[in-house]
Amino acid sequence: MFMYYVRLAALSYRRNPILSSLMVLAVAVGVGAYMVVFTLNYVLGGDPIPHKSDQLYHIQFDYGDPDVADFEPPPQLAYRDAITMLEQSSDFRRAATSKFVAILEPPGNDLRPFFVNGRGSSADFFAMFDVPFQYGNGWDRAADDGQRQVVVLSQELNERLFGGADSVGETINMDGHVFTVIGVLDYWEPTPKFYDVNNGPIDTGEEAYIPWSLIAGQQLRRSGNTNCWAAPENSSFEAFLNAECAWVQFWVELPDSQSFDRYQTMVDNYVAEQRDFGRMQFPVEKRLYDVNEWMVYNEVQPDETRILSALAAMLLAVCLLNTVGLLLSKFLGKSGEIGVRQALGAGKGSLFIQHTIEAGFIGALGGVLGLGVAAIGLEGIKILLGPEAPTQWITINVTVIATTILLAIASTIIAGLYPIWRACNINPAIHLKTQ
Amino acid sequence: MLKMTGINKVFRTDTVQTHALRDFSLHVEEGEFVTITGPSGCGKTTFLNLAGLLETYTSGQYLLDGEDVSSLSDAQRARLRNQKIGFIFQSFNLMPDLNLFDNVDVPLRYRGVSAKIRKERIEQALAAVGLANRQRHLPSQLSGGQQQRVAIARALVGEPRFLLADEPTGNLDSNTAEGVMELLEQINQQGTTIIMVTHDPSLAARSQRNVHILDGQIKSDDRNSKARAA
Amino acid sequence: MELGPITRALLRNKLGVILIALQIAFTMTVIVNAVYIINDRAANMARPSGLDEANTFHISSIGYGNSFNESVVVDEDLNMIRQLPGVIDATVTNAIPVSGSGSSSGYGLEPGRRDTLVPAAIYRVDEHVLEAMDLDLVAGVPFTAQQIVRRTPTEERQVTETILSQAMAESLYPDDWRQALNQNIYGPDGSALRVVGIVDRLQAPWPTFTYVENSMLTPEITLDNSTTYLVRTEPGYRDELMVEVEERLATAPHQRILRNNQSLEYTRTESYRIDSLMTTILKVVIGTLMFITAMGIVGLAVFSINRRRKQIGTRRALGATRFSILRYFMTENLIISAAGVTLGAIMTVGFNMFLVQTFNMPRIDWFYAPIGMLALLLLGQLAVIGPARSAAAITPALATRSV
Repeated sequence: MFMYYVRLAALSYRRNPILSSLMVLAVAVGVGAYMVVFTLNYVLGGDPIPHKSDQLYHIQFDYGDPDVADFEPPPQLAYRDAITMLEQSSDFRRAATSKFVAILEPPGNDLRPFFVNGRGSSADFFAMFDVPFQYGNGWDRAADDGQRQVVVLSQELNERLFGGADSVGETINMDGHVFTVIGVLDYWEPTPKFYDVNNGPIDTGEEAYIPWSLIAGQQLRRSGNTNCWAAPENSSFEAFLNAECAWVQFWVELPDSQSFDRYQTMVDNYVAEQRDFGRMQFPVEKRLYDVNEWMVYNEVQPDETRILSALAAMLLAVCLLNTVGLLLSKFLGKSGEIGVRQALGAGKGSLFIQHTIEAGFIGALGGVLGLGVAAIGLEGIKILLGPEAPTQWITINVTVIATTILLAIASTIIAGLYPIWRACNINPAIHLKTQ
Repeated sequence: MLKMTGINKVFRTDTVQTHALRDFSLHVEEGEFVTITGPSGCGKTTFLNLAGLLETYTSGQYLLDGEDVSSLSDAQRARLRNQKIGFIFQSFNLMPDLNLFDNVDVPLRYRGVSAKIRKERIEQALAAVGLANRQRHLPSQLSGGQQQRVAIARALVGEPRFLLADEPTGNLDSNTAEGVMELLEQINQQGTTIIMVTHDPSLAARSQRNVHILDGQIKSDDRNSKARAA
Repeated sequence: MELGPITRALLRNKLGVILIALQIAFTMTVIVNAVYIINDRAANMARPSGLDEANTFHISSIGYGNSFNESVVVDEDLNMIRQLPGVIDATVTNAIPVSGSGSSSGYGLEPGRRDTLVPAAIYRVDEHVLEAMDLDLVAGVPFTAQQIVRRTPTEERQVTETILSQAMAESLYPDDWRQALNQNIYGPDGSALRVVGIVDRLQAPWPTFTYVENSMLTPEITLDNSTTYLVRTEPGYRDELMVEVEERLATAPHQRILRNNQSLEYTRTESYRIDSLMTTILKVVIGTLMFITAMGIVGLAVFSINRRRKQIGTRRALGATRFSILRYFMTENLIISAAGVTLGAIMTVGFNMFLVQTFNMPRIDWFYAPIGMLALLLLGQLAVIGPARSAAAITPALATRSV
């Protein structure tokens, strides 16, 4: 019986191709546009590390400038606090991390020196964020403490330097310092780049990872956003490290509520102690943010996609209102046929099923076409984002495909409810008489 | 009043050419009540459409109230219909979304009569058909006979030179039909020319003059002295 | 006109009216707010940086190895660049306007009063900056070669002069920005800078910075092995000079790499890429919505006309001219659209209030809603013309047909 109704729906489409195509087009455009925005939001507002996002916490300290009224505490740590937290958190996995830049002189004479964006991080970084390795491993805490000159390469940099071969044990030269390769990452490009949201959430990952202690040791040039709310005492690097300048991201992994409570107490105590020294005078709402809270707090999801969400919802509404009208036209336009069916014994139930399937049929066609609309839209956005932004994250995955088709069918049927109801309640007598 | 001479009406499709009216001549004087009869497909409706300026003819001459209508533009013909002809249809053709007042108002709107005069005339016309107190009703709230009375009010409200009625009682039961016929006769007695298409011989027998059409030509044209003459 | 009967007839068919009116209302809400966002962004993008953007490019040189002596290389490079035919002038700078990266600080009129500091972008440049950036000095004097301080990042600052953008001077002296000339202003650490000049306009590097017009020039070259040159050329020379400068810098016998050889126009495009992306998306949305809504109007109009073919024939029989029928459906659409745009105006303002509150966008100008209303009324009329013409073509003879 289902197939019979599907065939009827197809026949009905063919009898009224312009009206039907108009409906399919409206559903496709509405759903397609919605899915473009959905995809952007799904990634940018989604959970980048779902299985442990509630175990990874970033610290927000009570930083503030007494002279600036609306000073927002920077979402990073000052060096001295990061050092203390590293020490006091040693029972847990934790990582201080920040960016650096360097000139890399490739081994051999085939390649010219080039510029790399790198990341200094504590040893636990790789385990905490489930960073995938192709070859070798990260370093251990002893390497942090010993400022060992080891490096983990991104897949892309390894490709460029060593043709993708296992380069563990090779050495590279960055800013005149020799580093031993101990690991090579597999493809790793989390979007948004949740572990460092204040240098742009849609940003390419770093190409080389070294122990964070080397940055403070001034082996390599620090980079990334830096926010000072008190001038360093002088221009020396030591003065900068001691100053009220926030530039370090600090993450800790707290696997259960017990450790969370313990850690919270430790952080609170530290703040209380610092407050006695005259620092951290400006209470913050909250000091420990898990990954998702941190992304919301730092407004990772761009205003643009949120505005577009609202606009896309209205676009979908227009398309569905359109569909209601067109379905109504279509169903009432075949009142005669419905009258004949009723006279031949079709009950309201079977008329209901027939027209629901007809609406669903149009919705399904709209969904398939909507996928095309979404694909074109996303491709357009990729082109417009330009060559410098990472765009691999803009893809149509199974979730998007399934959601698109389901959304199309469901919304068309919902849009069709009133027209279906009208179709089922057509008075057969009137329409038979005028035939 | 109405003078058709040698009218031909030909319908062409790609393959077939049908003569709906052939060398058709008819002269209707002012004040007459003429019934047109004939079997289905004989050309009654075509005659009515031509007489009512709803369609154009292929050849011949048609003088309406002395005016040759063959060369008139569509807009001029619309104006003539509006001013000189009142239509009554078999299925009433009321606007289902408009109340009686607005239905009767339709022809006056196209004539550009002032609101005050329109109101007076609509009320008069509805009173004349006995529906003065139903102005705000919708057609669907009325019986068939009442609906046809509204249609008659709509046809009369513009004070036309003659009425064209197309099977006005075709959709009514005999009692109601009798009422409508009496109303039409009454209107005729007050001086309005009426041309009525019907297939009911008893109605034809009541009129002063009956024209019988067969295959697009006038078969007979009988003047009936026994009719309730004016 | 037949406003009364048309409206009364419409009220008997509320659903059709509501469907179209709601579509128009939503469409208007989206379109008006989208146009407003587009204009808002376009206004941002149109703000001049103060530079001769069409004829300016920049290139960065990063030295490495022990033999690299930046102080020598900078002089050599700048001499070479300035002597190339087609170059108007070149300067070294720590930041490129509009690029999105740079440094800022706060300056105020009294030492130690950190609460009065006014934020400003700091450009560390040499004495060629005015020519190279095409800045108009509206008061005071340019930097002299002797004032340029060279220092490594860890050496103490010894700079004592500054040139302000006029907006910065206005922030410090709201009554009369000219008063800033020859005054000392004080940084967060209490160090003083004397204002030797004021230029008409120079934007900070960050387009979204609240104080985007507040900039300061200081005469210094930071020797951290990383140097950015900003070069202004005669019109038409930029592209070839970009190639030539990079080639010449690359062939000079220094251990360095060259990066970011970009025209300022490209830099601007990159900085405003999200804005132009947003603008493009919104334009597509506007076009799509207008199309869908127009199609919806056409679809429902065709339906309602088909449903009323006999009525139309009857009206023609009763004396309606073709034009009256056309006018009837145009008027009917106008009434529905009017209801739609009235609701649309309310929704437009409501959605704008949401944008204002949630995203700190400026309020919509008063004329947007009325223009949007007119635009949608027009769209409705244009959409209904086709169906209305086909309605007008219905023959009056339809009135006597029995089907």
